[in-house]
Amino acid sequence: MGKDDDGDGAHSCSSSIDSSNNPPADADHHPFLSSSCCGCGVGVEKRSSSSSSSSSSSSSSSRDLSTDLRLGLSISPISHVSSTSTQSRLELMNWPPLKAVLRSRVAGKVENVCLFVKVYMEGIPIGRKLDLFAHQGYNALITTLSHMFAATILCPDHVTAGVYHCSKHHNVHVLTYEDKEGDWMMVGDVPWEMFLTTVKRLKITRADRC
Amino acid sequence: MLKRMSYSSFPEDVLEHVFSFVQSDKDRNAISLVCKSWFEIERWCRRRIFVGNCYAVSPRMVIRRFPDVRSVELKGKPHFADFNLVPEGWGGHVYPWIYAMATGYPCLEEIRLKRMVVTDETLELIAKSFKNFKVLVLSSCEGFSTHGLAAIAANCRNLRELDLRESEVEDLSGNWLSHFPDTCTSLVALNIACLGSEVSFSALERMVGRSPNLRTLRLNRAVPLDKLANLLRRAPQLVELGTGAYSSDLRPEVLSNLAGAFSGCKELKGMSGFWDVVPAYLPAIYPVCSGLTSLNLSYASVQSPDLIKLVSQCLNLQRLWILDYIEDSGLEALAASCKDLQELRVFPSEPFGVEPNVSLTEQGLVCVSEGCPKLESVLYFCRRFSNDALVTIARNRPNMIRFRLCIIEPQTPDYLTHQPLDTGFGAIVEHCKDLRRLSLSGLLTDRVFEYIGTYAKKLEMLSVAFAGETDLGLHHVLSGCESLRKLEIRDCPFGDKALLANAAKLETMRSLWMSSCSVSLEACKLLGQKMPRLNVEVIDERGPLDSMPESFPVEKLYIYRSVAGPRFDMPGFVWNMDEDSALRLS
Repeated sequence: MGKDDDGDGAHSCSSSIDSSNNPPADADHHPFLSSSCCGCGVGVEKRSSSSSSSSSSSSSSSRDLSTDLRLGLSISPISHVSSTSTQSRLELMNWPPLKAVLRSRVAGKVENVCLFVKVYMEGIPIGRKLDLFAHQGYNALITTLSHMFAATILCPDHVTAGVYHCSKHHNVHVLTYEDKEGDWMMVGDVPWEMFLTTVKRLKITRADRC
Repeated sequence: MLKRMSYSSFPEDVLEHVFSFVQSDKDRNAISLVCKSWFEIERWCRRRIFVGNCYAVSPRMVIRRFPDVRSVELKGKPHFADFNLVPEGWGGHVYPWIYAMATGYPCLEEIRLKRMVVTDETLELIAKSFKNFKVLVLSSCEGFSTHGLAAIAANCRNLRELDLRESEVEDLSGNWLSHFPDTCTSLVALNIACLGSEVSFSALERMVGRSPNLRTLRLNRAVPLDKLANLLRRAPQLVELGTGAYSSDLRPEVLSNLAGAFSGCKELKGMSGFWDVVPAYLPAIYPVCSGLTSLNLSYASVQSPDLIKLVSQCLNLQRLWILDYIEDSGLEALAASCKDLQELRVFPSEPFGVEPNVSLTEQGLVCVSEGCPKLESVLYFCRRFSNDALVTIARNRPNMIRFRLCIIEPQTPDYLTHQPLDTGFGAIVEHCKDLRRLSLSGLLTDRVFEYIGTYAKKLEMLSVAFAGETDLGLHHVLSGCESLRKLEIRDCPFGDKALLANAAKLETMRSLWMSSCSVSLEACKLLGQKMPRLNVEVIDERGPLDSMPESFPVEKLYIYRSVAGPRFDMPGFVWNMDEDSALRLS
């Protein structure tokens, strides 16, 4: 909802600071400069004018830049460096005020833990992999898989009924999984959390074969 | 009037007994001011002392006045040290205190330190000096290693509490824990959450097993989840638990085992830890959720839906610390289910990112201020705010005592009107009559300081960054806030005039910190000369001060009152502006 407003706010602000001629590192060492930069009416006017009139050109140019940097992050080491320096502008200022424990947690943070499992579809020799933790529940998982394999996969709740009704349609599938004991089970019988603790891999099977 | 009453009718030991019921430091201080005999009686029976600044008084003076103290609490570095603004090596050494107390207070039982430098040598001195030592709390301290902890473990036979909070410990080996002798069964609280390396798990298990009174156990990240159930079964009486890493190979038996162990912990009221959390394991704590009053999820990178599931089961929650992954929707759920909430802290998961990574706005806090009538303490990091939202929060929660708002990008205006946030913060100080602590952020002019000086009569601590326009701003605060004890300012255009005009005010405060402001070296010298009971310390890492022009603004300035005179342990980059040094410099 408010995400767009947020985005614009951030842009106008960062653009107004980028345009000032006081790099943060300098501001740290020269109180003169830093105090003049946060000075009074001028600063206010400059800021509010830049944010109200945040012209499409300045805002889009900073957007392009940041998009660039983000994409570059995982690809080339050069843009990685530059993106770090952009991101640590605040860090260099020791702002926002966060205790070291939180700063380091953030810095050394491993992005959300993943649980990748293999998925095979009956009749297709090449498998796929997907992160179960990226899904909030069975429905989200089924949706992803339906797109991934361009197939109609029945939702767990409808499986029992569906098997009978749709068994004549060859393109209807159900989702099964191999559990830790090596047994093949129908997806959806146990709570999602418990499913996450037992699943080893997934198989999409034609409904009429179940 | 008081003088006419005859105190001699009370025998000394009766008065002493009466005084022993007076717990608050403020009241004890008031008692000691009544007359000479009360002063005498009170000082002999004072068992606990709190020193908010270790340089404000010397250990020798404290021991001379209070000869029989059992519990000491000391604070060292300025608060801004938490945010990396105080250079390394600044000071805050506790050794002189421990050295003096080792002979002065042989019966000392409790030491609580905050932001102090504690060496292994100091810990060894503590371990061998105080025969009945019981409590050691080191909060945000540094300078020691697990060797020092081993000395404490081996020698303090009656230790009840060892709490390392957020200290920075050099972690040489996890073996120190096995230095606790098997005869040590008195432990009530153990907090090792800040340690990096693996502790000896068998020693930990034995320790927990033989401590029937253990109420608080906060583990570190190196304790794996599959060990937790075993520990819990040995200590079902736990009231506060900090988990270790909350992840493991996904095995169903881990979950059921853990859930079983948790359901045995009927007393559990506080939880923290949850490092590397795998949301799939969170249901294990569902059995204890309804009993929880305090939940610290500030290390738990869990997305909103899982947080909502968890939080909405904690109906009796009074305190929640959480990452902004909770988002507005989660705070809405919190407001709907946790009616006893008193304290909320929301920390940023990506504080240095340019773009918001979550949908957390002012709306979330507005919701909580509406839904939780007992909310009185807030620390909130987000990326946008508005005057409207601040006014609403102020109206909803006039009972607010601590309000700290951090809008991540400095000098961000009201995102709706592009105006400064003066009126919003003004509403906070106007409506929240009992406000004691305030942190400002966003675009602010001198006007907000006028509001603060006018309304915030009970404000004790104020933090300001990237705000204000002229000296007038600082002047409003110093001349208006009667109860102000601590003021910390960074990157504001405040300078000499306001400081010199309110020099006397500084003697009534514990401390003033100003960094990257516009205070000249000359004004600092003047202040040091004018106010002999103030220690005016300039911190400047750029080089010797005499090479700089008088009108040059100093890098950092720390002013505090002291009855002990200039401190003796100033490093090369700190200069005290007392009369002598001012002469030396000029």
